Amino acid sequence: MEQRRPDLFPPLPLTSPALLPEPRVIPWWRDRRVVPWLVQGAVGLVVLVVIALLLGNLVRNLTAAGLLLSWRWLGQPASFDVAESLIPFDASMPYWRALVVGLVNSLRAILIGLVGATLLGTAVGMAAYSSNGLVRRLGRIYVELIRNIPLLLQLLFWYFVVFLSFRNGTEALQLPGVVLAKSGLYLAWFAEGWRWQGPELVNGVWQAPWRFSVEFAALLTGLITYTGAFVAEVVRGGIAAVPRGQWEAATSLGLHWGASLRTVVLPQALPVIIPGLNSQYISLAKNSALAVAVGYADLYSVAETTLNQTGRALEVFLLLLGAYLVIDLIISMLMNGLNRLVQIRER
Amino acid sequence: MTASQLMIEARGVEKWYPNGFHALRGVDLSVSKGEVVVIMGPSGSGKSTFIRTFNALEEFQAGSISVDGIALSNDLRNIDAIRCETGMVFQQFNLFPHLTVLQNLCLAPVLVRKRRRTDVERQAMQLLERVGIAEQAGKYPGQLSGGQQQRVAIARSLCMEPRILLFDEPTSALDPEMVGEVLEVMKALAADGMTMVVVTHEMGFAREVAHRVVLMSEGTIVEEAPPEIFFTNPQHERSRQFLAQIL
Amino acid sequence: MKARPPLLASLRRELFASRADAVISVGLLAAIGAALVGLLRWAFGQAEWVVIQANSTLFALGRYPLSQQWRLWLLMTLLAMATGLSWGLLRANPRADRSGVLWPANDRIAVAVLAFLTAWAPAALLLALPLQLRWWAITALLLVLRWAAGRWGRQLPAQLLRWVPLIWPLLYLLGMVLISGGLGLIQVPPSEWGGLLLTVLMASFAILASFPLGVLMALGRRSELPLLRWGSIGYIEFIRGAPLITLLFLGQNILGFLLPGGLAPDRVWRAAWVLTFFCGAYVAEAVRAGLASVPWGQQEAARSLGLSVPQALQHVVLPQALRIALPATVGQFISLLQDTTLLSLIGLLDLLGTARTVMANPEFLGKNAEVYLTLAVLFWCCCAALGLGSRALERRLDPSNTPA
Repeated sequence: MEQRRPDLFPPLPLTSPALLPEPRVIPWWRDRRVVPWLVQGAVGLVVLVVIALLLGNLVRNLTAAGLLLSWRWLGQPASFDVAESLIPFDASMPYWRALVVGLVNSLRAILIGLVGATLLGTAVGMAAYSSNGLVRRLGRIYVELIRNIPLLLQLLFWYFVVFLSFRNGTEALQLPGVVLAKSGLYLAWFAEGWRWQGPELVNGVWQAPWRFSVEFAALLTGLITYTGAFVAEVVRGGIAAVPRGQWEAATSLGLHWGASLRTVVLPQALPVIIPGLNSQYISLAKNSALAVAVGYADLYSVAETTLNQTGRALEVFLLLLGAYLVIDLIISMLMNGLNRLVQIRER
Repeated sequence: MTASQLMIEARGVEKWYPNGFHALRGVDLSVSKGEVVVIMGPSGSGKSTFIRTFNALEEFQAGSISVDGIALSNDLRNIDAIRCETGMVFQQFNLFPHLTVLQNLCLAPVLVRKRRRTDVERQAMQLLERVGIAEQAGKYPGQLSGGQQQRVAIARSLCMEPRILLFDEPTSALDPEMVGEVLEVMKALAADGMTMVVVTHEMGFAREVAHRVVLMSEGTIVEEAPPEIFFTNPQHERSRQFLAQIL
Repeated sequence: MKARPPLLASLRRELFASRADAVISVGLLAAIGAALVGLLRWAFGQAEWVVIQANSTLFALGRYPLSQQWRLWLLMTLLAMATGLSWGLLRANPRADRSGVLWPANDRIAVAVLAFLTAWAPAALLLALPLQLRWWAITALLLVLRWAAGRWGRQLPAQLLRWVPLIWPLLYLLGMVLISGGLGLIQVPPSEWGGLLLTVLMASFAILASFPLGVLMALGRRSELPLLRWGSIGYIEFIRGAPLITLLFLGQNILGFLLPGGLAPDRVWRAAWVLTFFCGAYVAEAVRAGLASVPWGQQEAARSLGLSVPQALQHVVLPQALRIALPATVGQFISLLQDTTLLSLIGLLDLLGTARTVMANPEFLGKNAEVYLTLAVLFWCCCAALGLGSRALERRLDPSNTPA
C-alpha cells in the first residue's frame, strides 16, 4: 500500500506565518504560559485601582466629616431604650451593651424560628405524601400561596392586622393554655416546683410563666410560616428523590405507610434534605433582620438606631456584617456536621 | 520520506500528570501524508493521551512534536495553526446540542477561517451528503441516533479542511448496529487519501485499512508493524498477550 | 347495577379512604368552610374598599405628575404589544424537537385563576371608566397580537426573526426615556416615581444590570487564576452572608462617602445599584451551576476546531450554560421582585412604602387589612405569573429535564 494517494484537499496557500522559520524566543503576547497571567494581572490591576480610588474617597470624606474609623464611641452611654431585653438594660448603659441586647434578641428569634419552621415545614412536606387528597392539596396551596407573597408584607400583615387587633384584659382571645392579648402572648408552662400554671388575669393584667411581646410573636409567626413553606419544599424534594422502588420494597415487606416513611425513606432522604435546610436556615437568620419593621428590638434594629444617633456608618456596618457572617458560619458548620452524620456509607 | 511528507513527527514525548503519574514515557512516532495509523492498547496505556497531544488538548513536558511542519510549542499562533490543520473526532461525539447540524458544521469555518457563510453552507451540505445524512441538516443533534451523530462529527471536522484527522475511539460509545456506518465513512476517507491516526479496538478496520498498527502499553510503544505482520506474527510478547485477550 | 360515577369514586378514595382520613377530611372541610364564609362576609360587608379605589393612581404610579402619565400608558401599550408578539412568535416557531404538554394540570389551574383575576381586577377595584377601558384595550391588544403572531409567525423569514429579540433592549431604553424624561420630554425626577412603577422599575433594572455582572463573577469563580477566583468567591460569599436590609442601609449611608466630594446620587439610584450588586451574587451562583453542567467535552470540541477561548465561551459554552441556568435566574428575579418591598424600610416609596403612607393618612386610618390583602393579591399574581412563565420556558427549552 505504498502507492501515491491523491490529496484530499488542495494545499492551503502558504500565508500561515507559522510555516516560516521558528523564532527561538516566543513573543510574550503569544506565549501560552504567559497570556493567562497577563489577563489575570490586567483584571487584578483594574479592580485594585478602582478599590483604591473608592477607599481613598472614603477615607477622605470620612475624615472631613470627623467620622474616621474608631471604636471608642462604643463605650458612651446609649441614651435610648430598648423595648425588650433578656439582660438588664437602660438608657445610661453603653452602646456596646445595647448591641449585645439586640444580638441576644436576634438569637432568640432565630433559634425559636428555626425550630418552629423545621417542625411546620416537615409536617407540610410530608403531607404531600399523605393518603388524604384534601391534606395534599391544602399543603400545596399553602406553599404556593406563601412563596409568592413577600415576607415583609406577611410580617406587616401578622403584626398590624392580626396581633394588634387582639384586645386586652377579659376581651383577650383565650385558648386552652394560650392567651392572645394586645399586651402580649401568654403561654402556660411549668412554674417553680414543677407546677403546671396557665395564664391568669391579675388586676386586669395577664400573667403567665412565658410571655412574648406582640412584636416578637408577630415576627416569629411570620418567619415560621414563611420559612416553613420553603422547608416543606426541601423536605418534599428530598423524599421525592428517593427512588419509588424503595417505597414498594418497604410496603411489600409489610410495613405500613408511616413506618416505611420513618425507617426506610427518611434516612435516604436526609442527605438530600440537609443541604437544602442549610440554605433555608441561613435565609431565616438573615430574614430575622426584618424585625425592624414590626418594632422588635433585634440586632439590626438596635444597630440602625445606633447609626442614626452616632453617624458611625462604617463601624456599625462592620459589626452587623461580622455578626451575621458568624451566625451563618455557625449554622453552616452545624449543618455540615449533621450532613456527615447522615451520609449513607457506600462502598 | 522527505520532511514535507511527514504530517506528524513526535520525538521523545513525555507527560506526567499533576499527581505524578507518568502517562507517556518517551514516545516516538512519524506519520506520513496519506497514511492511516491505528493505535491500539489496553486501557490506561496512554493512547488517547498521546493523540490528544497532537492538537494541544493535552500538554507534554518533554520531547517535541511537529504537525505538518509546524512545531507544537507554547506559541499560541502555532497552536491555533495546528488546530486548524487537525480535526478530531471524539468518543462522545461532542456535537453542540443547541445548534442544528448545519450550524454545527459552519460555526468554526466562519469564525476561525473567516469564510463567507454561504460558501461554508454549500461545502457543509456537500460533506453531509458524503457521509450520507444530508437530509438531517436542519435537525438538532438530540434528534439523531448515535451513528448519525458521529457521522455529523466527522463532517464537522472535515468542514475545516484539515490535513490530518485524529480519531479517539470513535465507535466505542455506539450500539453495535451503528458501528458499521461510521466505519464505512472512515474507510471512504482513507481511500480518498486522508492522513488518519485512529485509536480504536476495531480489528477489522485495522486489518482492512491501516498502513501501520501501533501497540501502546503503559506509556510506551511496544510494537509498530503493518497489519498483516502485526496480526499474524507479532514480534513482542506483550503484543501476543494483547491479541490473545482481544481475539 | 349502575356503575358508580367516577367523580364520586375518586372523591371517596381521596377523602374517605380510611377512618382517620374521613375524620380529618370532615374536620378540614368544616374549618375551611367556616374560614371562607367569614372571609367573604368580611370582604363584602365590613371591608371598605374605597381606600384602594381612591388611591389607585398613587399605588400604581406614586406621585408621577398627572399631566405626564400618558407616557406611562404609552409604555404599557408598547410592552403589551411586545409581549404578545414575542409570545405568539415563540409558539409559532417551536423548535422541531421540543414537543409535549406546555401546561400540566397544576399550572392550568393557576393560569385560570390568573386570567380570572386579570379580567375581574379593574371592575373589582371600581376604577374610573376611562381607566377600565384602557386596561381592556391593552389586554385585548396583547391577545390579538399573540393570536396574529401565532397564526402568521411561521411565514416570517428567518432573518427577520433573528432581529425580533432586539425589540426588548430597545424597548427598555425607550422606557427609561419615557419614564425619566429627555429627548424633548419633561424630566420627571426619581423622587416622584413611586408605587408599582418604582417596584417594577427597580426590579427590572437590577436583574438586567446584574446579569452581566453575575456571568463575569461565575466565569471568574471557575477560573484557574487565583486572583480572579478568590476575588469572585470573596464577593459572592460577602453578599450572600449579609441580610439585604443591611446592604440597602449601607448603600444609603456609605455610598455617598465612596464618591469624590461626597457627591451622592439620588436615593433611588443608590438603592438600585445595591440591588444590582446583591442580585449579581445570586445570579453568579445560578450561572456557575449552569457552567458546571456543560460537559467538558464541549469545550474540548470547540478548542479542537480552532475556536479561541472567548469564541468557545461565546458560541458554545455560555449558550448552553445560560439555558440551564434560566430557571434559577428567573427564580432570582421573583425573589428580587419580593425584595423590593424592603425599599419601604429605607424610606423609598415603592408599592409597600406607598401603601404605608396611604394607611397613615387619617382619612383611611384602620384600613390595614384591605390594603395588605390587595397588595398580597397583586404580588401573588405577579410572582405566580412569572413562575408559570419560567416553568413553561423551561419545558420549551428542555422537556426532558424539567421537574414534576
